[in-house]
Amino acid sequence: MRKLLLLLGVMLLSLQLLFAQNRTLSGTVTDDRGNPLPNVSVQVKGSSTGTVTGNDGTFSLSVPSNARTLVFSSVGQASQEQAIGNNSSFRVSLQSADRSLDEVVVVGYGTQRRREVTGSVARINGAAIKDVPVQSFDQALSGRAAGVSVTIPNGVLNNPPVIRVRGVNSISLSSFPLVVVDGVPVFSGQAGGTASNNVLGDINPADIESMEVLKDAAATAIYGSRAAAGVLLITTKKGRQGRARVNYDTWVGWTKAYNLIDMLNGQEYTDIKNEGLTNLGTPPVPAPDLPARGFFTSTDASGRVISTNWYDEVYRTGFSQNHSLTVSGGNEKTTYFFSGAFTDQEGMLKKNDFQRVSTRFNVDHKVNNWFNVGGSINYTNSDNRAPNTGSLPGQAFGIAGLGRLPIVLAPNVAPRNADGSYNINTVTNTIGQGNNRTALSFYNPAYILNENKFSSENDRVLANVFGSVKILNGLTFRTVYGIDNLSVVNKEYQAALHGDGVQFGGLVQNSQQTYRRWNWQNLLQFDRTLGSNHTVGVLLGNEQQSTFQEGWGASRRQQADPFYDEYQGGWNQIVPAGNFLGENYLVSFFGRVNYDYKKKYLLSINGRRDGYSAFAPGKKYGNFYGGSVGWLISDENFFQGIKGTVNNLKLRASYGLVGNNQGLGDFAYISAYNSGLYGEAATLFFNQAGNSNLTWETSKKLDVGFEAGFLNNRLNLDVTYFNNDIDNLILDDPQAPSRGIPGSVIANNVGRMVNKGLELTLNASIIRNRDFTWNSSFNITTLDNEVKALAAGNSDIFIATSGLERPSIIRVGESIGSFYAVRTNGVNPANGQRIFVYRDGRQVQYNHAAPAASRWTFLDGTVAPRGADQASDGVVIGPALPKWTGGFDNSFKYKGFDLNVLVFFSGGNYVYNGTKAGIRDQRNWNSSKEVLNRWTRAGQVTNIPRVVFGDNVSNGSAIIIQENVEKGDFAKIRNIALGYTLPQSLSSRLGLSSVRFYAAAQNAFTFTNYTGFDPEVSANGNANGGPSVDRNSVPQARTINVGLNVGF
Amino acid sequence: MNIKKLYIPLLAAGMLLGACSKEKLEPVPQTSLPPSEAFTTATRALQQLNGVYSAFKNGQFAGGRVLVYQDVRGEDFLNLTNNGVTAFLTWNFTVTPTANEVQNAWSAGYAAINRANVVIDGLANSPIDAAVRTAYIGEAKALRALSYFTLLQLYARPYADGNGSQLGLPLRLQAETNIGSQDLARSTVAEVYTQILKDLNEAEPAVLQTHANPTLNATRIHRNTVIALKTRVYLAMGRYADVITEANKIVPASAPFVAASGVPNQLLPSIATVFAPPYVNNEVMFTLPFTTLDLPGTQNGLGHYYNPGPNGNGDFTLNTTGNGIVANTTAWPTTDARRAFNIASGTSTFLRKWPNNPGSAPDWTPVIRYAEVLLNLSEAIARTTSGVDARSLALLNAVRRRSDATVTLAPATNADLISAILTERRIEFLGEGLRTMDITRLLQPFPAKGSVSALPATAPQYIWPIPNPELITNKAITQNTGY
Repeated sequence: MRKLLLLLGVMLLSLQLLFAQNRTLSGTVTDDRGNPLPNVSVQVKGSSTGTVTGNDGTFSLSVPSNARTLVFSSVGQASQEQAIGNNSSFRVSLQSADRSLDEVVVVGYGTQRRREVTGSVARINGAAIKDVPVQSFDQALSGRAAGVSVTIPNGVLNNPPVIRVRGVNSISLSSFPLVVVDGVPVFSGQAGGTASNNVLGDINPADIESMEVLKDAAATAIYGSRAAAGVLLITTKKGRQGRARVNYDTWVGWTKAYNLIDMLNGQEYTDIKNEGLTNLGTPPVPAPDLPARGFFTSTDASGRVISTNWYDEVYRTGFSQNHSLTVSGGNEKTTYFFSGAFTDQEGMLKKNDFQRVSTRFNVDHKVNNWFNVGGSINYTNSDNRAPNTGSLPGQAFGIAGLGRLPIVLAPNVAPRNADGSYNINTVTNTIGQGNNRTALSFYNPAYILNENKFSSENDRVLANVFGSVKILNGLTFRTVYGIDNLSVVNKEYQAALHGDGVQFGGLVQNSQQTYRRWNWQNLLQFDRTLGSNHTVGVLLGNEQQSTFQEGWGASRRQQADPFYDEYQGGWNQIVPAGNFLGENYLVSFFGRVNYDYKKKYLLSINGRRDGYSAFAPGKKYGNFYGGSVGWLISDENFFQGIKGTVNNLKLRASYGLVGNNQGLGDFAYISAYNSGLYGEAATLFFNQAGNSNLTWETSKKLDVGFEAGFLNNRLNLDVTYFNNDIDNLILDDPQAPSRGIPGSVIANNVGRMVNKGLELTLNASIIRNRDFTWNSSFNITTLDNEVKALAAGNSDIFIATSGLERPSIIRVGESIGSFYAVRTNGVNPANGQRIFVYRDGRQVQYNHAAPAASRWTFLDGTVAPRGADQASDGVVIGPALPKWTGGFDNSFKYKGFDLNVLVFFSGGNYVYNGTKAGIRDQRNWNSSKEVLNRWTRAGQVTNIPRVVFGDNVSNGSAIIIQENVEKGDFAKIRNIALGYTLPQSLSSRLGLSSVRFYAAAQNAFTFTNYTGFDPEVSANGNANGGPSVDRNSVPQARTINVGLNVGF
Repeated sequence: MNIKKLYIPLLAAGMLLGACSKEKLEPVPQTSLPPSEAFTTATRALQQLNGVYSAFKNGQFAGGRVLVYQDVRGEDFLNLTNNGVTAFLTWNFTVTPTANEVQNAWSAGYAAINRANVVIDGLANSPIDAAVRTAYIGEAKALRALSYFTLLQLYARPYADGNGSQLGLPLRLQAETNIGSQDLARSTVAEVYTQILKDLNEAEPAVLQTHANPTLNATRIHRNTVIALKTRVYLAMGRYADVITEANKIVPASAPFVAASGVPNQLLPSIATVFAPPYVNNEVMFTLPFTTLDLPGTQNGLGHYYNPGPNGNGDFTLNTTGNGIVANTTAWPTTDARRAFNIASGTSTFLRKWPNNPGSAPDWTPVIRYAEVLLNLSEAIARTTSGVDARSLALLNAVRRRSDATVTLAPATNADLISAILTERRIEFLGEGLRTMDITRLLQPFPAKGSVSALPATAPQYIWPIPNPELITNKAITQNTGY
């Protein structure tokens, strides 16, 4: 029967096509700034007749004479209807949807119209990041949405950014949002070793249609257990009806480090170090006299004094290229999107490269009017190569780190000897010391850069299939099965002659990591309008997710011959490395009810029950919920009088409880005994103190706000207050080390923390002329983070940077990771000694030249009973988390030219400038030029103490001091891009439908008073407790790129 | 509507219920054992005991660094690399409560103590042979005692300062496996020594007289080891009569000095073979084994500190000037075989007792050997007799003449004899981690070296501070004076 009907329908349609008197309509569709809009669907209302616009925004469509209305619709734009009348040519300007209530917004397990959304959802268009020279899309999100803070830790390629949705949302678990690609939660984070490997870099940014950030409980609770840190929903591009569209996007770029700090040259270094020795009472002794001591310059082959700028040995101008080709199209039954992309990027550091080859195919097919199927498959190969940058979490104090080497190495020796060989001392495994008679430290970066190599390579398949069945009118069943299979190979080679490889006699290490996940969702959606006023939507769902992860590998040591630099070569030893094995499973049942009355009064309630394998028996399940209400005041009768001014006003509020299990170990609750070795004998030992009460972290989220549109949406304002009360935080409850508990920690649900703040977004279409438009978008988020409860009687937690120094404290009543330092009070003009302040306010000074027992004195010269130290004298200096962050995005368009400037700003916090301690250290390390201002005579007022060789206290290497805690306010021109689109006439003459050229700069300028490389920094990566620490990492990169977008 | 369409979701729902398996919510780790399984077989009991040894052997503790710290505080080494991570701060007496060595040695020592406590507890209920259980518990107790003794040398004032009345260590004797009370005050030095002796006295009859093979005799504690350790403990306390009592159990009245019972411990003919592969011999009474699969860890091995590249990092050279023992060719003539360990490289001389690369061919780390028992006994006799005691001198010369047959020491007075014994200890045990104890047990100042001036016994820096993490978490702890 159905077939017969279908056949009949097709016949009728054909008849209509045959006999109706057709006419051809044409026109151009632009956005509200006048840019041509490609891929806009143009359809005759009530029929299947339609087409899509070309890259130049034009269309041509043959319509039957009885056609009355055209419907223009496009993702990201509000739909518009135009009466056909007698017109044959149309010029349509679509309203950008981010200002439209009709914008389709992707939410958890579905979509909603902006009008109906009562949760807090930020949308970022894929187009905004498509041409930005980054490795992964998440690096391009800084400043683009309120409540979403994105920090790039440094200029290492494909280093995962620090993303925080409304602040730090956990202490021990992950505060990185859950990332969901086309409905399937995917792996995120760092998978590399020494070579950074952000696995989100496996997603080609050009494949992304939109990114939605779910921020409050109403929006996120549907993700229940994984939602505390927010959810990042990535939707990839789909094909649209019409002829196949081919787009080619490319850019080439040049990358350099910027804001490097000037260091002492060879002669200055020599003089300062000798002055330090003299001040110590051990003046330099020239050769051949004994004892051998002091610093002496050397000369090169042409007789010049050697003065090495070590930056030149480490940094370069990296060249990058990016190519992306997409083909998309479809008919009324089937749409498809295909992409192939290649990117090859060189970083600002020598030997730091990123390469990605990816392909994606998305297809959607309507089998019939009740059955849809489709799916997508994405294969990516990403190859990350890097030297030891010293800039990833845990690397800050490595003596091979390339962030550190150029600022500590003696500039009076050269990287290479006159005969071209490496200047290395194989006895001490340090740089060769030239004529210096006091020993030098640290490796020669020329050698380790050339010889050692590190890589991390991914092969990844992201795929999903779905089917949806319309069971009854308004009742749809949808099932989605997705996989994320990620295979990572990490390789490492460290040569035997010099550097970290020496201790192993040379080392090569390969490890294979496998991450496999399947996720199966079954959703029943019911939508019904009852009468004319009541609309109800009900979603019931079940989700299961199973994740398996393992790693295995080995390191081979004792190089048989320097020739071998691969694992399969000649090596005398093999040692296991990189082994892990785990699995976890999540099962969930959830539901959501949306109700509205007259589209004015909106209500949404959702609930979810999650079971997760890593929690203790009896504590596995958690119940989560969210509820929200909205009121479109502007639709009320009493409002109509001012609708000319305020055309839209919506109030909304939400509250809910969500959970967090992200980043928890697979067997976190158990007590366990592990195996090891004692010589050749097997051991079994108590390895983990478990907790049989371990369960979900929870987050109670309150969100109240309004959205207002003025002057027909020319100005849009969105203001939201949020309060996230996070409880049951799982902490590595610090145990007294004398208890001897493994690692001195036990995981426990003991912490509580609150994030509250205000988000404000203002979008304005400031100028809207035919030839000139100016659109502006401003957002700012304030954040007040306060730790409310901690483990074991609210004991402070100190967060170590790379296991050594501990500038960051987690303390009740303070913002997480605040800086905790010994107060300092400048340099005593009388004697050039650094003044430290005891906690009780008494001032002491430090003289490294005095005997150990009398180095610390009060200012009157009497010997102090003890030195200042962090445990006794530390105080909280201030917050490390920015109190405010935001972005200011301006787009100008004049005829074919377009200019976009994105400013990213952040502040109200402090940055711990540990690097400054290093470049003021008075061991054999080099110093910044600033040290030339050292104290040299009584009465001199300066910020640099008298130099005493070996002094590592006055500068803050041995003790965390306030001197090195600086204000972190900054504004940065993150991206500036100038483009030109060829006139239609010209591009069509080339046989192309559109051509745009552009030039852009990433990180063009930074405005700040911070004295280090860059206040946008995170030596601890994504670690929650140690933000804004600057310790020996490389600076940010500045990239200039030029590009081309071509539509065929 | 087509009823068939309903089958699809129903089918799916059915599959789904079947797939929500409870098993997947209860995954069992495949690479670790739960507490209920940890002591259930003889194999596991033995592995648990080995686990205590391996904790004691931690490279941050007795397997490496703690020996270095104790030696470089003395005058015989100079720091080359100024590296705050590799004992530079210990060498020049500038450690703070947050210094990494202060924190790590403490944590590693107590980790070993707790492993001993866990195993002593666990073995009590393990269904293994009773005699085996007794022996294992004895070994665990000896390791606990030795761990406390090692920590005392760094974190507490010497026993000689007020007969142990100063603050010692928090005395943890229960297995700590769960969230529990953090606070525990420091016992006095004397109380900690009492516990150490109690453990050793209980271990002595409990442990085996000999193990099944020479490797085990070197790497596992046997009765003579416990006795030897007691001589060290009593010497540190200045209880010389007890040193003599204990030593006499394993040292005959006259040469040849060979232990009469248990493992026939004795001096080897050549010092060169004592520390060389296979590291197993009758002089070594307890040594900590390493293999390429069981390394001391980055920057932890003895060789890392003392060997120049490529087999080490050359952090410390021998002090060849002034008061360095190497410079003293009168007390230590060039004919002495022990000088063969001192290897010149460039302008420096390095101690090559552990010449191999600790990252790839790790040498074993000694804990105690028979030569020490002989010198402990020699000194105890000298200090409890007047004049030049013949047996004391014979013991001293046994050690000296093994390495230098051209010399026979002949001190004229009791004071000369004691001085000669102390000098002999500096020569014989150079780099073996005894220098701090030999200075502090006599309340002597740490002598000046290089750019570091002498440190009197009254200085706060004479001992380390209690580490910061302990101060923060253990509210009952007290910091050492001056920190």
